[in-house]
Amino acid sequence: MALTGLDIFKQLPKTNCKDCGSPTCLAFAMAMANGKASLDMCPHATEAAKETLGAATAPPVKTVKVGVGEQEVVLGDETVLFRHDKTFYHPTALAIQISDKLSGAELDAKIEKVNALVMDRVGQRIAVDMIAITNCSGDAATFKAAVEAVAAKANFALLLVADVAGLEAAVPAVAAKKPLIHAATAENWEKVVALAKANNCPVVVKGNGLDDVAALVEKVAKEYKEIVIDFGNTAPAKTLGDMVNARRLAIKKKFRPFGYPMLACALAADPKEEVVEAVTYVAKYASIVCLKADEKHHLLPLMAWRMNIYTDPQKPMAVEAKVYEIGDVGPDCPVYVCTNFALTYFAVEGEVVGSKIPGYIVAVDTDGASVLTAWAAGKFVAEPIYETIKACGIMDKVNHNNIVIPGYVAIITGKLKEISGLDVIVGPQEAVGIPAFAKARYPQLMK
Amino acid sequence: MIIIGERINGMFKDIGLAIREHDPKPLQEWAVKQKEGGAHYLDVNTGPNSEDQTVDLPWMINVVKEVSDLPLAIDTTNYDAMEAALIAYGKPGALINSIGCEQEKIDRVFPMAAKYQADVVCLCINKVGIPKSAEDRVAMAMEFVANAEAYGLQPDNLFIDPIILPVNVAQEHGIEALETIRQIKMISNPPPKTTVGLSNISQKSPHRPLINRTFAIMAMTAGLDSAICDANDEALVDAIATARLILNQDIYCDSYAKVFRQR
Repeated sequence: MALTGLDIFKQLPKTNCKDCGSPTCLAFAMAMANGKASLDMCPHATEAAKETLGAATAPPVKTVKVGVGEQEVVLGDETVLFRHDKTFYHPTALAIQISDKLSGAELDAKIEKVNALVMDRVGQRIAVDMIAITNCSGDAATFKAAVEAVAAKANFALLLVADVAGLEAAVPAVAAKKPLIHAATAENWEKVVALAKANNCPVVVKGNGLDDVAALVEKVAKEYKEIVIDFGNTAPAKTLGDMVNARRLAIKKKFRPFGYPMLACALAADPKEEVVEAVTYVAKYASIVCLKADEKHHLLPLMAWRMNIYTDPQKPMAVEAKVYEIGDVGPDCPVYVCTNFALTYFAVEGEVVGSKIPGYIVAVDTDGASVLTAWAAGKFVAEPIYETIKACGIMDKVNHNNIVIPGYVAIITGKLKEISGLDVIVGPQEAVGIPAFAKARYPQLMK
Repeated sequence: MIIIGERINGMFKDIGLAIREHDPKPLQEWAVKQKEGGAHYLDVNTGPNSEDQTVDLPWMINVVKEVSDLPLAIDTTNYDAMEAALIAYGKPGALINSIGCEQEKIDRVFPMAAKYQADVVCLCINKVGIPKSAEDRVAMAMEFVANAEAYGLQPDNLFIDPIILPVNVAQEHGIEALETIRQIKMISNPPPKTTVGLSNISQKSPHRPLINRTFAIMAMTAGLDSAICDANDEALVDAIATARLILNQDIYCDSYAKVFRQR
């Protein structure tokens, strides 16, 4: 969101001296809003005005980085309230809690468990992003020892949760890993922020609700700007409201104190409820969510959700280009060919399931384009289809020589037959015709 | 796009006569008919033949209010009649139509708008006349917005009218008005709303409806929010509904023209 004429006008000296070349300060403000003038053309603009207007052109949500190298997590830099307006850029980091009360073998086992929270979904690796070491023991030396042990073995960026004494003991020991420090509060912020600044680590500013956090961030931002905001979750509904309002103000009103990534800790004790709570924060603007849940079966749905929310809505959703087995397949079953556009594939899959006749579906990689779009672009024509069929070896699994193609691309039949030597059967134009087509052709395979 | 139906105006013979005889029927018929056409507001104007606007305008407001829940645009430059009409209207959400860009008018009307929670149509015109360039029009728009803040109004309580002139005699003004509308959207956040007296563009030209609807969709592209126009010009309302689709302001459906009229 660019600066408005009124925003600029408020910062101008209002002398109407014409030294900038515009007849009035108002006209100059509008020329600036239009990008036809810049503030340096006004010889009377104050330093404060230059700073204010400079800050207003900064992105609405600052980018903050935690961790180094492979473990680096990028937070913030979001520009929209709804993903369909553009996209969400930096997926919410999931931070799993480890207590410093654990030690020795217990601690090692827990680190291993968190390190192992890595899964494969639709051909992509998904994992947690951070380990949050919490100073539950209340002892600074214990906390330092636990933090060092975790830092030595963990595959993920660190979040250190402790009071001033604990942080002062642990942060310098792992500063090279650029951990995120939790938290600067109204009582301790001078010390915690000084520590963050000295060790070049980002810091969480934690308050209670909107007003409290805004006031605290204003103080902290004068000293240090590597900030993540925590509204001090006391009730999920309130936290949701706070995060929505904060993100709105940052984007719509360029309200600087909320122009930072946000962190939320899930409160629920039961891991299932905790995940449901985390789902809300992932959908609604949290850059980091802290959880205690550490079982794969609890975290997989949350990670899948995060992956979906942070996909780019402008890009067509694609499925993995491979052979899909629908039902209890055997060597007599039909082989359907379609594209890997998710909407196309799932339409075909649904109808093949509905036909009650098991079958193979070959999803050809068309960069996620639909049948006719891909055909028009030359991605769903004889050669690439035959290449895919050869490469996936589907014809070795069946005892016939038939492939079924979508009716809309009947025109490629001749060419495809010629280069592949297969019997190309032109199927129905719409997937909805598949059940009738299959029942007529393969009655013996009816289940 | 907010359609402000222009028909309840004493300049039209049937309404002029109805005002003289205090016969509510024609006013009420036009109120219903304009809503059916697609109006979102109803403009109410006594026209030039009212003996006493402070009596006639509140009467008009009351009879229209009886049959229509649409918000009303109180169309007068007589500020005593304006206030009497606002009192007769008796709820928030009226549209005051209009004031020019002169400090004494702003000082008289903006407090009224704040008091009765009404929005204001602000014309880019002053004692000197109608400015030629977009820059001069935008400067006036800025004056209005700066004043609104001082009087506790939000920028989007203003419907700024860049003033459009007949294309047959003031052809060069059309494009300046379009540029003004585009720039008004950059004045503040939230930006002021914009409006035009659409029928002005085609005064004394042939094919008036064609000229009107062509300008309407061009202005919508520049950021026009509303127009005072003929809500029963079906081709105009169709064009507006279509432009909203293309500007991604309404979600497409096959019956979009019908849906637009129902809101």
